[in-house]
Amino acid sequence: MWHIAKRELYDNLNSLRFALTTVLLLALMLTNAVVHLQKHPNRLQKYRASVTKSLDGLKARGDSLYDIAQQGPGLLYKKPSSLRFCADGGEAFLSDVVGGAFLWSISGSSGRLKGFWRLDYPVATPNLINIRPAVTKVDWGFIIGYILSLIALLFTFDSISGEREHGTLRLMLANPIPRHTVLIGKFLGALISIIIPLSLAVLMNLLVISMSSDVHLGVDAWGRLGIIFLIAILYLCLFLALGLLVSARVQRRAVSLVILLLAWVIFVVFMPSTLAAIVSGFSSPMSTDELWKRRGQLYEARFARYDTHLPRESEPSKRMQFEGEHVIQEAQEQERLSHEQLAQKTAQAQFARTITRISPVAIVQHLLESFAGTGFNRHLQFIENTQRYARQFREFVADTDRADPESLHIIGVREGMSQKPVSPDAVPKFEDTLSLSKDFNAAAVDLLLLTLFVIVLLSGAYLAFVRVEV
Amino acid sequence: MMTLIRRELLDNLMTFRFAAATFITLLLVVANTFVLIIDYERRLASHNDAVKMHQRQLQEKITYSAGEVRVDRPPNPLSIFNVGFDKRLGNEIEVSHKLVPSLWDAGMHGSDNPFMDMFASMDIVFIFEVILSLFALIFAYNAFAGEYESGTLRLVLTHPIGRGKILVAKYMSAMLCLIVPLLISLLLAIILLTTSTSISLNSDDFLRIGGIILTSVAYLSVFYLIGLLISAATRRTSTALMLSMFVWGFLVLVYPNMILTVIPRPASPDALRTSAFNRIENIWETFDRERKHYLSTDDFPGEDWGYELRGIGWRGANFRDYAPILLYTYRSVMHFEGFGEKDEPKMPHAQKHFGFLGAQTIDAADRTWLIRKPALEEIFIQPADTERIYLKLSPVGLYDAATQAWAGTDLLGIRDFFDAARQYRQSVINYFYDSKVFESRQWFSGDKGAADWSGLPQFSFQRDNIDTNAKRAIPDVCLLLMINVVLFIVIFLIFVKSEV
Repeated sequence: MWHIAKRELYDNLNSLRFALTTVLLLALMLTNAVVHLQKHPNRLQKYRASVTKSLDGLKARGDSLYDIAQQGPGLLYKKPSSLRFCADGGEAFLSDVVGGAFLWSISGSSGRLKGFWRLDYPVATPNLINIRPAVTKVDWGFIIGYILSLIALLFTFDSISGEREHGTLRLMLANPIPRHTVLIGKFLGALISIIIPLSLAVLMNLLVISMSSDVHLGVDAWGRLGIIFLIAILYLCLFLALGLLVSARVQRRAVSLVILLLAWVIFVVFMPSTLAAIVSGFSSPMSTDELWKRRGQLYEARFARYDTHLPRESEPSKRMQFEGEHVIQEAQEQERLSHEQLAQKTAQAQFARTITRISPVAIVQHLLESFAGTGFNRHLQFIENTQRYARQFREFVADTDRADPESLHIIGVREGMSQKPVSPDAVPKFEDTLSLSKDFNAAAVDLLLLTLFVIVLLSGAYLAFVRVEV
Repeated sequence: MMTLIRRELLDNLMTFRFAAATFITLLLVVANTFVLIIDYERRLASHNDAVKMHQRQLQEKITYSAGEVRVDRPPNPLSIFNVGFDKRLGNEIEVSHKLVPSLWDAGMHGSDNPFMDMFASMDIVFIFEVILSLFALIFAYNAFAGEYESGTLRLVLTHPIGRGKILVAKYMSAMLCLIVPLLISLLLAIILLTTSTSISLNSDDFLRIGGIILTSVAYLSVFYLIGLLISAATRRTSTALMLSMFVWGFLVLVYPNMILTVIPRPASPDALRTSAFNRIENIWETFDRERKHYLSTDDFPGEDWGYELRGIGWRGANFRDYAPILLYTYRSVMHFEGFGEKDEPKMPHAQKHFGFLGAQTIDAADRTWLIRKPALEEIFIQPADTERIYLKLSPVGLYDAATQAWAGTDLLGIRDFFDAARQYRQSVINYFYDSKVFESRQWFSGDKGAADWSGLPQFSFQRDNIDTNAKRAIPDVCLLLMINVVLFIVIFLIFVKSEV
């Protein structure tokens, strides 16, 4: 078996395609690294500046617990991933900030009560007015998903059908070697001869990136890179197996190439976007207009409730209690509404992503995104982080209030809350974190699917080759 | 000659690759046309809703200053062929005397789930771009190399036929074979388009589609000739095949995506932006000084909060600025439904004031535009245009640019709409002047009769006629044709000089 693999390897190493592959992969990976080094420091700087600005805003709000709770902690920013060069993940379409909102008045005609801070998710696509030509980012996802898969097919389309045309296959099988050994030998030969240029390119890419002082890759990042590389190899195996399968079934290598290229074009180039476009018609999430309409209805209901149910002035404590509840409930129901809309949009996108998993390139891009900490799943994690933070922030307000024995413990009304000054540093800070275990969970399905595809195709290639007549 | 063509044609027609090319192109084009038509219909519906909503909102306003005249850009039916910028740029804009509208001030309706933008959209031209170029190379790689190897070329050349004729015969027959799937799939797409009730294509549109077909053929021919060149130069089918595939991958996948990241970005336009913004700020500061000066000389209370024009209703006045797109404007909105008796003597003063303010605002907005237009051009348009030129170094980029121009979804086509919106703004202002709207009581109050919106000029946007499209597309088409001619001559030279 190793003998065959070695023979294939030597054959490939001397071929034109090996040289072209090496040049292409090296050039792409080098571009990728250089571009990342140009852009990443700016992104980090922008992130840090925004976070500082947001914190400064919090400090400027003064030390009253009521003001802090009412106006909230400011904008919450998504931390840029240091592995963005692996998968861009359409980050340009995803907002990197979750804001907060509050109303200046929620008490009908009297206009005395202010609304409380709540999370508010961005509704529009950022960077709408972009007149630059639209292109795909050259990230690892592109290099692996598109280029590497094409290369894998070009290495295998003639591995069996070519030998059959020459007649060398018959010669080889005349020796006492079992057929599966031949197949595995060919598979390994092609695999190794692509892994060589791929690892060269990847190593050079990482070398350039890690030599720069601006970009720092931690232990976690290196672990993620390792996983990404393994995924790339698994994906490579998939296309090698496909190539062998078709090559074994088809008599002539020209036909085998045409079939493979067609399969490639359909599954890799067209399937993801066409399927997503078809699927997006199935559900229609709450539109922005509808969101505003429902918001307006909620406000009106709130105002009406306030005006009719407000206890008389002769019962000040009851009145304050009511107002506190009124404020808190208003913030809650608005947050719930905006969350509902977000959940509908997410569900639509999630469904489209699920369907596009028929295409292996979509799977591998989801995987790379998950492990690079970019893209849609990362965005969901970010939003989850902000929600957790919002809870934490409210708990902080409640705890601080509870700790003050002089307070009336009515959150939502200035007079009902602790009057002690609060140090802005004591307010919990939002930090956007990434967790590898969560990424793994999100990626598990994709990983299993990819493995399944590889196994099915490999066994298909085996069956096809064992039963074929030479 | 005809025998040769017939022979080659039969050779090509009976192959698996021809069947596959036809089948796959048909499948992809038909499936995607369905999706694209549904998408277009959705956008059209959303456009119609927006138009109706804007009309209604305008009619509800009882004062002129509170009315927002909005115009909407309809989706382009030819975006099904090449979507270009049709979905990416703003499609609704407010036309008002206080701001000369530009591309950057436009809003967007009809895209309610930004998450779905993550999925690339596909159009018919993209399908041709990828798949027909691939097939052109697959048809070409063994045209010479195969015949060299099998020795049939030598056999053919023993007959008294010129080599040029053989080359032409090969070219003609393969092109015929490649045009078949192109034409059939386009025909099916057009049939699907005409069955949809919401899409109306006029005769100009069919000419535009004709232009797209012509460009497609030229594009196809470029790739076929590239394949022939490789085939004639390498003489071995396996080498020719490998080389063709890598050339295809490079031209179609790698180059268009890589080049923009490689070329140096123009130096940061921040200095330009700051200086332009400062000048614009100056204009509006002068405007504000004059406004305050006027208020101090007249005993009208004015629209600022400190003054005392108080009726039933609401009002607002503020400056709005946003430096990244050089936006600066002053907005003053009055929406009163009634005043007390003692306010009545103030009314003539108020009318005079708003007449003055209106004229001042228009003047400031026009002067702002004189600075803003060239600055925006330099900050946004020029770098993007440079990038487009780099993209055109690959036939894929040329093809994309030319078909966008034919379809009218290129940047110029979209900017035509904003030109129309600016013209419309001028006619609205003229109407306001002619009917003395600024000096009227209805400008700020609806108590003596509401604002009358029925006399407002109507906005209509017609896509430019075919001449404009042709003018924009022809240079790129000519470049494509030129590449064809050059490649053909090179192949001819190689083929004539080669030993068999």
